[in-house]
Amino acid sequence: MKSKVVSLKEAIQEIQNGDCIFFGGIVEDRRPIAAVCEMIRQQKKNLVLLGTCSIPGDLLAGGQCLGAYRGCYTSNGAFGISPNIKRLSESGKIVIDDIGHLDLSLGLLAAMAGAPFIATKTCLGTDVLNPEYDNLSKARAIARDARTLPDKKYQLMEDPFYDMGLVQLYPAIQCDVCVCHVQQVGEEGTVRIDGSLTFDHYAVHAAKKVIVTAEQVVPEEYLRRDPNRNQIPCTSVDMIVEVPWGGHPGQVYNFYDMDIPFLKEYAQGCVTEEGFNQWADKWIFDAKDHEGYLERLGATRLEKLRSIPPYGYKPRRQGGI
Amino acid sequence: MADKYAKIGDYTAAEAMVINAARFLKNFDCQKGLIGTGLPLVATQLAKLLYSPNMIIFVETGQADAKPEELPISIMDSRLTYGSSWQMGDPEGLFPLSRGEIDFGFIGGAQIDKYGNVNSTFIGGDYNKPAKRLAGTAGAVDIGVFAKTTVTLMAHQKRRVVEKVDYLTTPGWMVKKWPSGEMVRREEMGMQGGPNAFISTLGIMKYDEDSRIMYVDKIFPGVTPDDIKNSTGFDIDVSRASENEQLLLEEIKILREKIDPLNVYGMR
Repeated sequence: MKSKVVSLKEAIQEIQNGDCIFFGGIVEDRRPIAAVCEMIRQQKKNLVLLGTCSIPGDLLAGGQCLGAYRGCYTSNGAFGISPNIKRLSESGKIVIDDIGHLDLSLGLLAAMAGAPFIATKTCLGTDVLNPEYDNLSKARAIARDARTLPDKKYQLMEDPFYDMGLVQLYPAIQCDVCVCHVQQVGEEGTVRIDGSLTFDHYAVHAAKKVIVTAEQVVPEEYLRRDPNRNQIPCTSVDMIVEVPWGGHPGQVYNFYDMDIPFLKEYAQGCVTEEGFNQWADKWIFDAKDHEGYLERLGATRLEKLRSIPPYGYKPRRQGGI
Repeated sequence: MADKYAKIGDYTAAEAMVINAARFLKNFDCQKGLIGTGLPLVATQLAKLLYSPNMIIFVETGQADAKPEELPISIMDSRLTYGSSWQMGDPEGLFPLSRGEIDFGFIGGAQIDKYGNVNSTFIGGDYNKPAKRLAGTAGAVDIGVFAKTTVTLMAHQKRRVVEKVDYLTTPGWMVKKWPSGEMVRREEMGMQGGPNAFISTLGIMKYDEDSRIMYVDKIFPGVTPDDIKNSTGFDIDVSRASENEQLLLEEIKILREKIDPLNVYGMR
């Protein structure tokens, strides 16, 4: 099989304005931050983000790349509500369509199985199903191809099989591009993830195009010695980029821990639009590329974050931050 | 023996809430809980050391029987992975809930109403231009729908404990039936479970078996029934309340020295 290894710039050039995109990882864990910084450098517009927001989604929002967000989490975890998303939401400048966490899992499961929809009782009784808050049609109007998003948010019906009463029929999730940041990928695309798989092992099957950025590109043969330890098959990956520290300031299990001071600085600095722009100038535009970003951080800072065995993180009691 | 008890002023309101929550989790020893991010995770860790060592922790990012050695600060902190029986992804983390295997869910939130409905999506203004945008649904919806029961942990303030939540994220006892949005009992929707208790900075609230309306069951030492009434956005029943036992110095010591020595959660 032909090598799929490309540069980060080349990979991100494949993303079109108005694409529906999905990011691997969750909260601070295995988020494709370097890839998102490059999306901002390339000034993508009107993207529709599906899934969980946190840092990468918040960066896209601040970088004016995001038109709509459909998902279940607009928080940066312990560091507060995602500041750019919060500011844009509170000034009515971004379309948000809230769905549930299990909705997301089941929608991706349906996609993985090739099923058009799936039935569940989740979200019954809640405002997730409130027709007044249904912003799906607004998200469809922003998407490059409206057909990537479903015609309808959900459909209620009585369970015809096991008498479970009312259930929600929930449509399969589809997206144009899925970007995952992982620990290891082979040259042909086989992926090995450590720690939580989050949604990555489902989401790649819901995407037309899959970009994998990895801490290490390793010989394909190495990963094929133990295929049970791999979570994404080579056949589901289109492009591969080696991006060491590509999840900073988040964590990558077995590689490095969260950069808590950096995350706090982001949370405080990006409350205002001006603050985000300053942050972006420093870390995205002036830094020029991911190598420039790492140079700014410096080896001393990064070394403090390095995970140690057997934990997969850097224990605070051993000098972690 | 008098000196085994802490005095008012020896601890913060957040510490009282977390320690009382840990005591409450005695009820769930040997059971499976799906634990939300934030202070519920702190209370759970304390409970496992002191009161319910055999409680089994699931997290929505795919850990089964998580046993973190250090306090995780988010719902997917690497600290949750090491030591777990199983580490998959978010779907596998949530499917035990939808299979009906989870005995209790334990969550925080921004607003709770008298039927135990919780809001973690937005407060004030309009959905499309809220006064305050919050974290969204995360696992809070799914825990409220599928766990056999739920416990909520939140600071007790008039703007938080309200007649009606601004957005119904986690379903309590009376929920919305769509498309009309009329409030109906959750049983009518074929939903199992329902909230068990709301633990706040002032006391422990339970739900009346008939009306399903929240009432005060326990008041923390140093708090009066009037304090609770004045901090609640509806006319809450305090007639059944009794005083909870004073915090133990030992509980405070373990919380500070073993659970959160670096004050990562800013409880003190």
